[in-house]
Amino acid sequence: MKISLTWLKRYIDLPETPKDLAASLTLLGFEVDDIQTTGVPQLENVLVGEVLERVQHPDADKLGVCRVALGSEIGEKSIVCGASNYKVGDRVPVALPGARLPGGFKIKRSKLRGVESDGMMCSGKEIGAGEDAAGLLILEGFPEIGTPINEVLTESDTVFNLEVTPNRPDCLSHIGIARELAAWYRREVRYPALDDLTSVDSRPSGDDIFEGASVDCEEDCPLYRATVIKGVKIGPSPAWMQELLSSIGLRPINNVVDVTNFVLHETGNPLHAFDARDINGKKIAVRNAAEGETMNTLDGEERKLASRMVVISDEKRALAIAGVMGGQNSEVKDDTTDLVLEVAYFNPTTIRWVSKNLGLSTDSSYRFERGVDPKSLRFATDRAVQLILETAGGEVCGPEHVAGSEPVSQNEIKLSPDWIRAKAGFDIPDTQIQESLELLDMVVSHGDDGAEWTVSIPSYRGDLDRPIDLLEEVLRIYGTNKIPSGVVKATATGANDHPITEFVRQSGAYLVGQHFAETITYTLRSESEQSDWSESVAAMDLGLKNPISEDQTQLRHSLIPGMLESLRLNQSRKTGATRFFETGRVFREINGKLIELISVAFLECSHGAARSWKERGSDDFYLAKKRVEILAGFAGMELGRFGIKPIEGDHTAWQEGHAALVDDPRAGILAEIGLMNLARIKALDIQGEIVAGSFCILPERLRAAKRVKFQSFSLFPPSSKDLALVVGKSELASNVVKAVSKIAAKATKNAFALEALDVFDVYEGEGVPIDKKSVGVSMSFRSQERTLKDKEVNQAFEVIQSEIKAKTNYEIRD
Amino acid sequence: MEEELKQIVESAKSGVSGVSNRAGFEALKAEITGPNGSLTKVMKGMGKVAKEDRPVFGKLINLAKQQVHAVYDEAMSVIEASEIAEKLGPPIDPSLPSPDSGPGSFHPLTQVREEVCRIFKEIGFTVAEGTEIETEYYCFDALNTPKDHPARDLQDTFYMPDNADFGNVSKKSDERYLLRTHTSSVQIRSMLKGDPPIRIISPGRCFRRDTVDATHSANFHQVEGLYVDKNVTVRDLKAILDYFFEQLLGKGTTTRFRPHFFPYTEPSFEVDFSSSHLAKLGSDWVEIAGCGMVEPEVFASVGYDPEVYSGFAFGMGIERIAMIIYGIDDIRYFYQNDRRFLNQFA
Repeated sequence: MKISLTWLKRYIDLPETPKDLAASLTLLGFEVDDIQTTGVPQLENVLVGEVLERVQHPDADKLGVCRVALGSEIGEKSIVCGASNYKVGDRVPVALPGARLPGGFKIKRSKLRGVESDGMMCSGKEIGAGEDAAGLLILEGFPEIGTPINEVLTESDTVFNLEVTPNRPDCLSHIGIARELAAWYRREVRYPALDDLTSVDSRPSGDDIFEGASVDCEEDCPLYRATVIKGVKIGPSPAWMQELLSSIGLRPINNVVDVTNFVLHETGNPLHAFDARDINGKKIAVRNAAEGETMNTLDGEERKLASRMVVISDEKRALAIAGVMGGQNSEVKDDTTDLVLEVAYFNPTTIRWVSKNLGLSTDSSYRFERGVDPKSLRFATDRAVQLILETAGGEVCGPEHVAGSEPVSQNEIKLSPDWIRAKAGFDIPDTQIQESLELLDMVVSHGDDGAEWTVSIPSYRGDLDRPIDLLEEVLRIYGTNKIPSGVVKATATGANDHPITEFVRQSGAYLVGQHFAETITYTLRSESEQSDWSESVAAMDLGLKNPISEDQTQLRHSLIPGMLESLRLNQSRKTGATRFFETGRVFREINGKLIELISVAFLECSHGAARSWKERGSDDFYLAKKRVEILAGFAGMELGRFGIKPIEGDHTAWQEGHAALVDDPRAGILAEIGLMNLARIKALDIQGEIVAGSFCILPERLRAAKRVKFQSFSLFPPSSKDLALVVGKSELASNVVKAVSKIAAKATKNAFALEALDVFDVYEGEGVPIDKKSVGVSMSFRSQERTLKDKEVNQAFEVIQSEIKAKTNYEIRD
Repeated sequence: MEEELKQIVESAKSGVSGVSNRAGFEALKAEITGPNGSLTKVMKGMGKVAKEDRPVFGKLINLAKQQVHAVYDEAMSVIEASEIAEKLGPPIDPSLPSPDSGPGSFHPLTQVREEVCRIFKEIGFTVAEGTEIETEYYCFDALNTPKDHPARDLQDTFYMPDNADFGNVSKKSDERYLLRTHTSSVQIRSMLKGDPPIRIISPGRCFRRDTVDATHSANFHQVEGLYVDKNVTVRDLKAILDYFFEQLLGKGTTTRFRPHFFPYTEPSFEVDFSSSHLAKLGSDWVEIAGCGMVEPEVFASVGYDPEVYSGFAFGMGIERIAMIIYGIDDIRYFYQNDRRFLNQFA
């Protein structure tokens, strides 16, 4: 909201500089977004000078060398000037060496084409007096030579752009802000003095042009007041009013409209003036609009109305959208002579809805939707009538027409000063608490024992109704910048950081240790990117109801697409980035429900790193798998316990035959590992091969790590046996391990344990049938109690071999 | 005989000089001390020697054996040394650059988040987490945000379609799902889970329906704090934030409160800081956070008695803090992940 300092000074004395005022407003809770000064700022060493003589510059056609008088103290100076709009005898602003002009230009003694110049004669623009830069500013009225320019050009104003929080509609006006500053500086507010209006009895009748107002929708419009003024003469408003309105960015229109705008920004009350001729049936009704009803508002737009909207209507048509904007059909025109002046109290919720649904916010709707003080309507009417009569003539006719009644609001708050101190946590004396409240126009009365006060709240402070609200008021006037600091109370609650936090930290630390750079990418992705991933992702309902742009319509299902986007950017900028990881939330549809998952993902690209004198191999599937296993371990999950299977089919994200998947919705985990689909990566304009891994887990599955329980281990040596098995080419190693483990565990007959069973060799080629492969497994046996004898191990090994022959379709290779 | 032994020793000596690896060495060994080796033959011939001469011959043979084995040992150490040299390859050039990538790096936003969490952990706050998808109740209603508050507009907040159904985000009743606009919803859910004292901070990703520019992003990160206990005062809030900002921004950092308005706190303040360490910003006040005492209506919505408990809450933007402390002027850098940006924080 714009507040003009000149305007503000009509209601309060403010000798402070704009900067100081801005600081005070800020501490009162009104953030100052910017301060604009119009007119001439305070300038040092800029004086009124008179051109005594002009001679042509010897070396430059366009320059003149002037002798300039600057008063008895300074005397005469020689100044070179390029302007041509002046003549000898003119008085102009002269900036002497040392002056600093708006924009930071500093005046120095200098030589222009070899001729000494002792200052500069200035244009209006150069000293901030208007936009005219074409020639010198010729000062009218022959001001005294040597006078500081600020004493001659006094017409300046400062406009503050304030942020008024939604709880303070009472401050959406100059008087509102004046009240706040008055409390801060402990000064008086000078409210405009109202003329005594002629008594109703002695007024002429207005019935011939207006008979009355009625309200059909009292909830939307509890109170409506209309005043008839006859015989106005429309013309421009006085210069002072035009200047004030212009200073806050309003365009002067005519005296009547300007008065309504002026009173709005003076008191915060929106008003509207109708041309009485245009009110059919001489009556106004405040009613809900008919669904689909249309009217043309003052801004020239045709508005289509809904039945929840409220209009000011005559017997035929809507004349205005209540609280928002007037209609063209009844606006004040050059030949208007009779007015009906409206002030009203509209329901804030109604106006907010109307404004939002019309997409039309006006100074009027902005105030009504935040809440206008119903008790202020009378003052606003009287003030507007006074100014209309003053600026447009005419006379008030008949009684004021009132429909509805003022909402009852008698607000008193019980308050204990001890309670204020207890909440504040520091000492504020009773007197200071009371003074703060009284400075804000509250009335404080003490009970019998003085411990509980009754504070009555001014009608315009609808935001105050509990003691806690008054704490803020006391602190505001006390100065929130003076709230003392204290001792930090570091009481422990016994809680730990959330398991999600710990999981993300551990994962990040591991991947950073593996030389990955963390990325942070957008959660919202494009639909095409998501559907390009796979058919199952394309089928998920991850779209937003109200996306803002086409490339951000969906919740991400994986962290990898974002990282790929960053990789592409890095490749195009040739930064040499190859390894990224990210942690964050991803979203999936599982069994018909959307689920938010915690995810960690990483990728390595074979392309992009700077060439090196020594080659290192890039990551492969098995390294990525190890990484995912480690990440799963941080989540308390042993990945090997869940089935891992190759990603099959023509999958668009992963390369068939070189990528795998662990998907266990019941356990709440999903892992994808492997080589990204080569064709798709190429289509994304990314060079090289990418090996990536991603691990997702249901947040609910993450639990605080359990304390480890030590398990004793055998101190006796192990005994090992190797076995090579010929199995089907596509048989998963995990199946072989599972089958042999089961047999081996049984074969030891609990006499000792199969400690480990690992694949140590995989072979295809000579000696193995074309559709088969050889898988070498090593078994390690150990006992807790003794060193194993060869005989018992050999015996078990015999059993294992015969069992494999009997129970599996694996062949034992010699 | 003596002459024969001498020759054998000599042949061993001359033989090893031509041997360069284990195989050659083993072949030479076989020629001398192998089953059919020259020395072995001599030893086998001992049987034919007259009994009285045997001690002399035995001595001679032993001497020759020792000499041959000394030759072997020497030769073996030469072979081993050459094997090691071969295995090690040429000496390193310590000035050559390492061909390996690295270092890895945490994103600056993560670093700021962790820094904030660490400082608060020192004074008894632990990290609470919540979901990025929230419902209108936990994001707005429970936080005393009026039904027609502009923050709830489709203009400002991302909503999920009306029929969206989340398996792991609970609703209060049949309110809409949305993308959380602040992490304050974590505070509500934390308070609903247990009784005071509560002392948490909740860092996390939030969303606002903003068009991306130098200072706006559709997703951003916040960290909010909440402390609820008996007798928590405005001064306690000031003390905690003073401590925090001095830790974060350096000694000599001062903060001030400015009155403000939030639906979920009363009184509400914005926090400005001033720090001589951040040269670019100078000594002027810079807005950094919002805070206030928990609004009694918020306590009512989680079933805490505002007559018994009081508390404060505060919140700040992680991007904003990062921009201030690192001197970054465009929020988009955080989301582009240019290696030259990330590497500066490695």
